[in-house]
Order: sequence, then structure tokens, then C-alpha cells
Amino acid sequence: MSRIEAKKPSLCTSAPLTKDTVSHSMSVLSGILKSCYGPTGRLKQLHNGMGGYVRTTSQSSTLLSGLSATHPILKVLTASVQNHVSRFSDCGLFAAILCCNLLENFQRIKLLPCTVAKISRHLLSLCTDYLKSEACACRILVDFNSIETLLCLVRSVLTSKPACMLNKTEADYIGILVIKAFLLTVPNNVETNVALGKCIIVPVKNKRVMDSTVFPGLLIEIPELQMARTFPIRRVSSSSIKIALFCISLSGDHSSTGEGTVVVHHGVSLELAELDQLLNLGKQLVNDQVGLVVCQKVIHPSLKQYLKEHHIIAVDRVGLSVMEPLSQMTGSKPIAAIYSLSPSCYGILKDLRTENFVSKHFLHLIPNDTLVCSLILCNRNETAWDELKVACQTAEHVLQLTVKQPLALLGGGCTETHLASYVKYEVFNLPTSTFESLDCSQAQYQLVADAFCHSLESIACCLEHDNGEILTDAVYGHFWSIPSGFPSDATWSDLVSKCGCGMHSNQQKLKWMVLRNQHSPFTPQSCCKDPCVKSPDLRALDCFVAKFSGLQVAVETANLILDLSYIIEDQN
Amino acid sequence: LVVMAFRNVNRRRHVGLQQLSSLASIGRTLLGPLKSYKFIVNESTNESVLACSVVRLLESLDLTSAVGQLLNETIQAQSKEYKTGTATLLFLAGAWSSAVLECLQQNVPVPVIVSVMSEGLNSCSERVKCLQVSVHDLYEGPDSVPIQSNFSSARPQIFENKTPSAGSNSFLNPFMHFHKDVPVTEEECVPEGPCSHEANTCDLHNRCLSSPTYTTGRQMHSAVGPVGDKTMLSIPGSSSITSSCNKKRLTHSRHFNAVGKKGSLLHVGSFQGNPIGPSTHHYECKDFGQLAMALSHGNKASMKLVQDIVRCQQWKTNRTGLSQFNIEEIVTCCLPGVPESYSCICPGYVTSVSPEKAAVTKQLQGRLLQMLLIDGDLTEKYRHLGFNRPTNVKTVSESLGVQESSSGCSWTSRMLDILMQSEVNLILVKGNVCEHLMERCILNNILIINPVTQNVLYAFARVTGAKPVTYLTQVNSQCVGGGVGVDFWRTGELSTEELESRMLISIKAEGSTLVTAVLSSTVISKMQVIDDQFWTCAYRLQHALTDGKVFPGGGAVELFCLSHVQKLIDQALNQGNKNSAGEFHSAPCWMAESLAEFKPLVLKALASGWHKYLSTVLCNSANYTSEFEASISIKQHLKKVTGCGSPSAYILQEFNLREVVGKVGPDPLTKCMEFVQVYDNVTAKLEAWRRALDLVLLVLQTDSEIITGPKRNELLSSPVSSEFIFI
Repeated sequence: MSRIEAKKPSLCTSAPLTKDTVSHSMSVLSGILKSCYGPTGRLKQLHNGMGGYVRTTSQSSTLLSGLSATHPILKVLTASVQNHVSRFSDCGLFAAILCCNLLENFQRIKLLPCTVAKISRHLLSLCTDYLKSEACACRILVDFNSIETLLCLVRSVLTSKPACMLNKTEADYIGILVIKAFLLTVPNNVETNVALGKCIIVPVKNKRVMDSTVFPGLLIEIPELQMARTFPIRRVSSSSIKIALFCISLSGDHSSTGEGTVVVHHGVSLELAELDQLLNLGKQLVNDQVGLVVCQKVIHPSLKQYLKEHHIIAVDRVGLSVMEPLSQMTGSKPIAAIYSLSPSCYGILKDLRTENFVSKHFLHLIPNDTLVCSLILCNRNETAWDELKVACQTAEHVLQLTVKQPLALLGGGCTETHLASYVKYEVFNLPTSTFESLDCSQAQYQLVADAFCHSLESIACCLEHDNGEILTDAVYGHFWSIPSGFPSDATWSDLVSKCGCGMHSNQQKLKWMVLRNQHSPFTPQSCCKDPCVKSPDLRALDCFVAKFSGLQVAVETANLILDLSYIIEDQN
Repeated sequence: LVVMAFRNVNRRRHVGLQQLSSLASIGRTLLGPLKSYKFIVNESTNESVLACSVVRLLESLDLTSAVGQLLNETIQAQSKEYKTGTATLLFLAGAWSSAVLECLQQNVPVPVIVSVMSEGLNSCSERVKCLQVSVHDLYEGPDSVPIQSNFSSARPQIFENKTPSAGSNSFLNPFMHFHKDVPVTEEECVPEGPCSHEANTCDLHNRCLSSPTYTTGRQMHSAVGPVGDKTMLSIPGSSSITSSCNKKRLTHSRHFNAVGKKGSLLHVGSFQGNPIGPSTHHYECKDFGQLAMALSHGNKASMKLVQDIVRCQQWKTNRTGLSQFNIEEIVTCCLPGVPESYSCICPGYVTSVSPEKAAVTKQLQGRLLQMLLIDGDLTEKYRHLGFNRPTNVKTVSESLGVQESSSGCSWTSRMLDILMQSEVNLILVKGNVCEHLMERCILNNILIINPVTQNVLYAFARVTGAKPVTYLTQVNSQCVGGGVGVDFWRTGELSTEELESRMLISIKAEGSTLVTAVLSSTVISKMQVIDDQFWTCAYRLQHALTDGKVFPGGGAVELFCLSHVQKLIDQALNQGNKNSAGEFHSAPCWMAESLAEFKPLVLKALASGWHKYLSTVLCNSANYTSEFEASISIKQHLKKVTGCGSPSAYILQEFNLREVVGKVGPDPLTKCMEFVQVYDNVTAKLEAWRRALDLVLLVLQTDSEIITGPKRNELLSSPVSSEFIFI
């Protein structure tokens, strides 16, 4: 007999954004994100309150996955930012904060969501067109022939994550290592289909940052005793070792039986049968002159012993992360069966060595053409290591994106303030036909544009966490800051020293004004004629592609959320 | 239900830093050579633990707050890596967090504190390297391990009790009692291989020899060589390793002349991190025993054992050509309830066994045994890691006669058959052993020792040719190692009551450098403390040898840092506004302006950490009754240091060769008669500082705690619920 229970009706909430709980949650979330932004951003301790691991972080990826937002509106926001981060790694906080700012400012102007959406999309296209144009004054060409710009790009990523606990020397050192690792993944011969290799991060915790290093090829940690017993290896020839790569468990359990019950007669041992098959596999590997067996999961000790006796090195439990690069660099196909191996699934290694590094032992796999490298990453404690790992991955991703589009945006808030002053000026000079085509009045357009620019300026201001005052200049529209509590009679040129990106200094006769005050629009100028600027003082650069996408994601998400009129929740 | 709570911790009075500072205060009596033991009592179970190290202390505390956990994690990381420096870390974390709190109260912006403190520490860590004492060339061969001349009067420490075959029933043999009473004179224990296996002789003298002794004695150095060059400027960036060819022996400057008269040797070499003027000189430690004692920090007994181990390993190394002091090849065997005077070292692996196993040992002693190493459990049900037991297999049998219980018996018999066939007499097992199998083995004169640590397995694997296996079914002739012997160890001396009717046996393999440190204490609760102290000493020595250098201890380094920070403060005051912001890439643009205002203040906060450290060490070592008195003394010394042209030269002279310290330990600032030097590890110390500061700065920069998880109601009902924001 089955019990029937009436279904609960769905819960429908209208105009969700105006509800107190939502706006409260939204403002708390935006407060958390804003306080994390930039190199002096404040850190957050994420933990479960029950003695679990305490993760100290200020990165969007960790925060958003740790926050587990419950309200649908917050979920829309976090999901779209997380999606951006998964594609570009960088500028996650930028996208999230800008989206919060836009929501906040657009809600204030009380226009119809569709009008706001139309106008803000137009504003967005103004920005994106400008950023893509040659005339854009807040972007620079990245010269891959010199390390300076690259280092600046990487360092900006690393220093914007203070929980890595790097000092200046260490940040430079890790920056160089990341660049080195990246260069090792770039193929020497450029053909039509260029694919970048992969950099594997090998964790070594509890060590000094300066102990980190990078190796071409792949490093797999092995127990010390195995190390002593590794050689001699079976080689096919002097410069090739055959490798077999298994992605299934060779532990000898028969876990692949699926559902149902297996009935076995007394006296029959499944385990022994399984082991026999494994040993047959071993025989085949010996016959096929394999020199190295790598298994993602566990190898049965007896099989290991058999292989060892035949001078085959067996490494197990290497994990999923190295499987793809390993298969890529050796040309082997991961084997998912223990019978009828085809000879074509084996790969070739050039050489195999052992390395001792910070009291750990590694097997060093050297492929014929090295597109895989191993970054041995050290940091002093768990949480700082975790943070540094994400930072390095981000930095590497930024380099990959930059190699595709060799542009960078000025960092330190200068791009945002510059863009805001550009938009202000453009809006001021828009032809009336634009408003007609958008089906709005000039006043409406102006309101939205002000909110848009204000949001951009606010995010620049989020870089400041210690009550400093933010200024902008009337020539380049860059970002300047001065300490809090400055005397009222002071001249600003004495207080400012350098702009956020470091390109300009107070030596130039500029006119400064408080950023968020109203001031008349001006055309922000390009700083110099040479687009490939090499200012030695450049302090911060941002990844062009990531920021470009972040801007789009923020505006589109804000429009989407504004446009939500009902939330329907299934309560069953 | 996933709930997120969020607490803002950044007020003027930073909650996290307050927690850190109060947590750290529990460790202040653990600083310095004179530690106070702590009893930790669990009120609910009435159990108590004796803790004498920071690691043990934190282990027994319930640190559930986020900051507490970060602190614990930091301490564990330091301990795992260096086994020393944890008290320094804890103390400085506390001192610096309260110093930073004061900065916050004076409105210093957080980024300024972060940059100035971290750059300040960096600068100190670089400059302090000029105080390093090189220990290179000190450890090249056995000749370099001299033994103090008074060693001969000491109790023999390494025993080799090859029982003569005639007395094979003799673990109660009265001869064995001789060990303790035989005076070992230097002539007797000179170069013959005392720990050798081959020395299979009934000769009493050879049976209970002490460790190899070399007559080199303590090397006395005199300052010879060219006098003239007043200073040797260092070459910046050059290697810190002083090769013998670029060493010049010099005496120069007032201080160094005085030093020379004391019979010490000065080496001037090129050096990293170019300090100013004559501070580039460094001393070299030439005497191994002296180095070891200077690193013991008051734990002389433990360090003596470590020294004996070094001698023993070195002696064996010379035959096999393996590497030198190998900490991997040391195990400890704790004997609670046995008087501390029984602590000693023994080559090979010493462990205690039950009387049944002792009977087997009796059968096996004096023979060369075949050995097997098992790196798992030795039970029927055991499977290797990663083996998933099937859940859906059903066994059916066609006849009724088969009993379930018989399978266990048959397994034991099969295993025993394997063992008999491979003629194994001795098995070391990492995990558990099936009791039934154990009994059968005892009956068949097979000795099973378990549990045995991984490094013991490896140590035997390296020299005996045995290959560790997981299952006995894997055993073939290649897995079995040979050349191993077992014997009773000092059985006659220790009454069976003391060992709770267990017997001590030793297992030795030819060519092995494995050494057991047998540690004993009549106070059972002190056993852990003694074990910890032994390992601390061993690791200190190990670090000194791998670093190739040591710091003069007893506060020299901290005093130098105080003087260096003072110099930085003066520089900051003179330079005023001229700091370039480019120095700090991560700092806000206005940083340069704020620096001039706040840098001296923050640097003072940095210095206050070391100042508190010094005064606490002085107070703990009972030479000063109050911190005030200690702090006056520090000020006086600091004045002297800053007064003279080269702080490092002054400090080196005062600390490296000053005759200080009584039994109490290193008190640098008072003059005592006894000559005891104190050295500290370089890397471990610098790392402890850095980790302490990192922790403080990490907590400082944290402004909120985000708690996710199903504890909403508990948080809501807690007294601090008003501090949380719930989303």
C-alpha cells in the first residue's frame, strides 16, 4: 500500500530583488567580496566551525565555492562569476564586485529594467569597442621578447593574493618560475595546429618558497626505497623506454562485477584468479619490452614484485592529474583493460632519472620533446600553499591567454577610472540618433550612464581598504590615492607619488580631483605614442582577455538579475 | 542545510590577534634552557599529561578557534620540518601579535604594518648571516670526531654482547654483569672496531667496549698567520661556503686580538649578504664535541647519546662508504620504569619481547639468520591499500563437510609452510600479526617482531638484501635477506620486574648503520619528554651539519637584530620622505607618504618581539628576578653593541667565545666561570621567525571569519551570536 501525500504548491515570489532579505544578503556578499579586492585586500577565514581545516583566502574561486549561497538570486550571481573564473581564472572578484555595484546603482535610478538593460548594453559596447580599438589608451602591447612586461603581468596576479604570504623577493622568484614553466610548455616548432603543453604543480608543503623550482618533463614522487632499487631500466634502445599507462586499478579486486551477486563455489578463489590474470598481464608487458609501468590507481604488490624482478619500474597511485600530460608527452594511450593490450597503446620516453629534492624522491620522466614541465611549488604552510597554487595556476593561465592576444590592461585601478572618464566623455558627445534608436530619452541615458561610470569608479575605489582618498587626473584619467587624514590646505601634487599602474608620477604637471565628485568630461589621452610601452616603473598589469570578459559578464549578469520578476520554488 | 555565518573581526582591537597573543602566552615558560613542565588535566576524565614542549602542549589542548587552528598548524609544520624552534615560534607569534595590536591602536594602516614588518624581518635575516659560525670541514672523517679526554671515565656506552657459543644459555650469565663495572680506559678502546660483528671473542674487554675513541682530543687552535690586513671586505653574492683555499688566518681589531689570545681561530672568508665593515669575519667551529654540546641547550645527556650515535655510524660508514650522520637510521627504544642511567646507545635494532619470544631468541642467538620484511599486517584478512573488498560474492559449497573455521587453520598452515620452505628465522612486520600464526611460529623457532616502523624495515632492506613484501605468498628466494643476528641485550642487569617481564633483544645486520638509542626513565610520564628531547638534539645536530653553519646562541642573534632594527629606525628617521614606493609592489600608492610617518613605530614593534624574547629567556633562566631587571641589562648590552663600530664583531666576540653559562644554560649577559658555548640552528631559527611573523600578518590581514556548515542554531544561541551575520 502506498501512501499518497498531496504535493505542496510551488512558492512564487514576485519582484525578488526588492525583498529585504535578498538585498541584505546581497549587500553582505558584496561587502565580503569588496573587502577582498586587490593587493591590500583583507583575508577571510573559511572553515566549518567544527575544527575543520581553516582556509585563509581572498580569491574569488575559493570564496565563492566556499560560500555556498542559498538564495536563487545570489546563485545566479555566483554561478556566472564562477563560470567566468573557470574559463579565464583571473578577474573573478572584478566581475563579481562590478556586478554588485551595477545592481546597486541601477536599482537606485528606478527605470524599467528593460530600458536599463538596453542602455547598459550600449554603454558596454562603447567600452568594448574602445578596448578593442588601436586608440585605446589603457592597454599596452605585451612584448614576449622581454621578460619585464611578462613579469609585471605575473607579479600583479601573485601580489593581488596576499594570503600567499610572499615577500617581494619571493614574489619575483615565483613569478620567474611561472614564466619559465610557461615557456617550457610552448612548442619550439610552430605548425598550423599549435597546442600549448601542460605545467604540473608538484606539491611540497612546509618548505621555504625559495626552494621551489621547475623541471622540464614530469616528476612523480616515489618512496625512498623504490628509488634505491630503480635501476637498471629495460630500454628499447639507448634513447627510448617503452611506457605503459594504466587508468584502471590493478589492485586485483574485482570491483567491476556491477550489480547482482556473484556465486562462487567453495574452494574457488576469485582473488587468486584475478591475480593470475594480473600476472599474465605482467608477462605480456615483459614480452613487449616495456620499461616503465605507470598506474593511476593501485598495483597489486605481487604484480609490482613480478615487474621489479624483470627490471620494469612500476609506479602506482599517480592520480588523475598527471594522466593527461603523461599520455600527451609519451604518446601512450591510457589502458583500461588487463587483457589483449594492443602494442599501439604504449608510449615512448627518452629517459628516466631520479631526482632528490628537498628530502623527497622523485622519478623524473623525460619525454622526447618536452611540452610538459613540473613546477615544484613550496610554501610554508597548508593554507598559504593552497593559495599560492591557485595563484600560480591563474598566472600561468593569464600567460596562455596573453600569448593568444598579446595585450594587457593597465592595473592598479587605472583602467577602470580611465574607462569611466572615456565613457563620460563619449556620452556627452553622443548624437541624438543614438537615443532614438535605443528608444529612450537623453535624460534616461544620462542616468544609466552615470550609474555605469559610478560603478566602474567604485570598483577602483575598492582597491583602497585603509580610508585613503582616491583621486583622478584630468589628463589621462588614471587612479591616484593619498593617505587618509591629509591636511586640507595641502596641495595634492605633494601628496600623490605615482598612479595605480605606476606609469605616471607627480613630476608631471597634472590636475587632480577627487574621483567620485562631479567634474566636466574630458578626453582621456594616451600617455605615449609607442603602444608597446616599457615603463620600468610599471607596477601592475591585468590580463586583457580576462578583464574584457569580466566586464561583459558583470554587465550581462546585472541585467539578467534586474530583469528577474518572479522566483518560483518547488517546495517538495 | 548549508548555512553561512560571517563575523567581522577587524575592529581596532583585532579579535584574532588578541586570541593569538593570549594563546601564545601559555608557552612562555617553555622558552629557554630552563623549561617548566606543564600538567594538562582533563577535567572530565581526570587524565593528565605532562608536557614540556610546545608541540606536546598544543597537542593536548583543544584549539577549535580558527586562529588556534592556524597556530597549531604552523607549529606542527615547523616541528615536522625542523623538530626545533617551536617555542621560539610560539613566543614570537605572541609577542609580535601584541606589538601589532599596539600599532593598530596608534592608527597605523595595515599595509604599512605588513610591508615594514616583513621587509624588516627580511633585512634582519639577511644581515644576521654575518654571525654564522661555519661547521664545515669539521665532519670529514672519524679523526674529526674527537672525544673529550674525560670520556674514558664515563660509563661505556656502546655494547656489543656477542655471547660466546659456550654460554648460549647465558642470558643470566653472571659475566654479563661486568659491563657496568669494567672501566674502559683509552688504550683499550682505541682503534679496534669495537662495534664489529666479527669481534666474536670471549674477551671481556672486547665485549663491552665503548665507542671508538680517537686520541686526537680537543683541538686547540692558535692564531697564526699573517697579521696585517685590518679588514677583509666580503665579496657580495659570493658563496658562503668557505673553501679551504680562500681562508686566511688573521687577527685584527681590538676585539679579534683579544679573541686570538683566548686560543681560538678566526677565519675570514667571503660571505654572503655584504654587511658593513669587519662584520664579515666569521668564526669556525672546529671541535665536533664542542659543537654537539653547544647545540644541546642543556640536554647534555641526550646530546651525549647523539654524539655516540654519530661515532658509531661514522665508524661503520668508513667500512661501507655510505653517507655520514644518518638520522633515518636511528630508532629509539623507550624503557619506562628503568633508571635513567641505563640510557645508552646500541648498534642495531633493540626492542623488547615477550618471554615466549625470548625463548626463541635463545635458540637463535649466535647464528646467522634469514630475515623477512613485511610492510603490512600478517593476518588472513589483511589486504593491501587500495584493494576494495567485494560485497556481492557468495560462496556456495556442494558438500556439507566443509567447516568455515577450517579456512583459518589452513591459512596459518600454508603461511607456516612458506616460512619453513624459505628457511626464514626472523620476520619484521610493520603491522599486526595473527596470533595463531605467531604461536605456531614460536613453536617452530621463528621470531616475529612487530610493530616495526617503516624506517627500520628500510634500514634492514638496504643492507640485508631482503625486499619488503606485503603477502607471504610473494616470498621467494630474492625477498629473503641474510647476515642478521639476534641477541639478548643487557639482560643480566635489568631485573625482569623493571621490564614487566619482557626481555630486550637486539637485531643486527652486517654493514648496517642502524643504531638504537635506548632511553629510560623511572618516571613513566617523563618518557615522552625524554624521547622528544633526544630527537630534538639529534635533529639540531643534523641541521647544523646540513646547514654547514650555526648561530652563536644565548640571545646573540636576537641582540644583533635589536641593534640592526635600531639602525633601520635611524635610517628611516633620517631619510624621511625619500622612500620610493616602488619598493613595495603590493602597497597602495600612498604608501611612500605613510611610511615616513609610521616606519619607525612599526620597526619598534618588530624589535619589541625580540626584546621580549630576550628578557623572557633571561628571566626563565633564573638569573634575573624581574623582566624589568632583564630589560635593563639588555639595554646596556644594546648600548654597547650599537656603540661599537661593528655590532657583529662585538657580538661574535662576546657570544661565540665568551666563557659563560653555568649549569643553568645560556645566559649571555652574565659572566660565569664555566666554559660552555651555545649554538643555535641557522635555518630552523630563521624559519621560526618567518613563520611566526607570517602567522601574525596572516591573522592581521584577516577581517572576517566565514563559517559554513550545519551549526547555525548553535551559533545563534551562543553568547557571541551578535557578532555574526547570517546569510
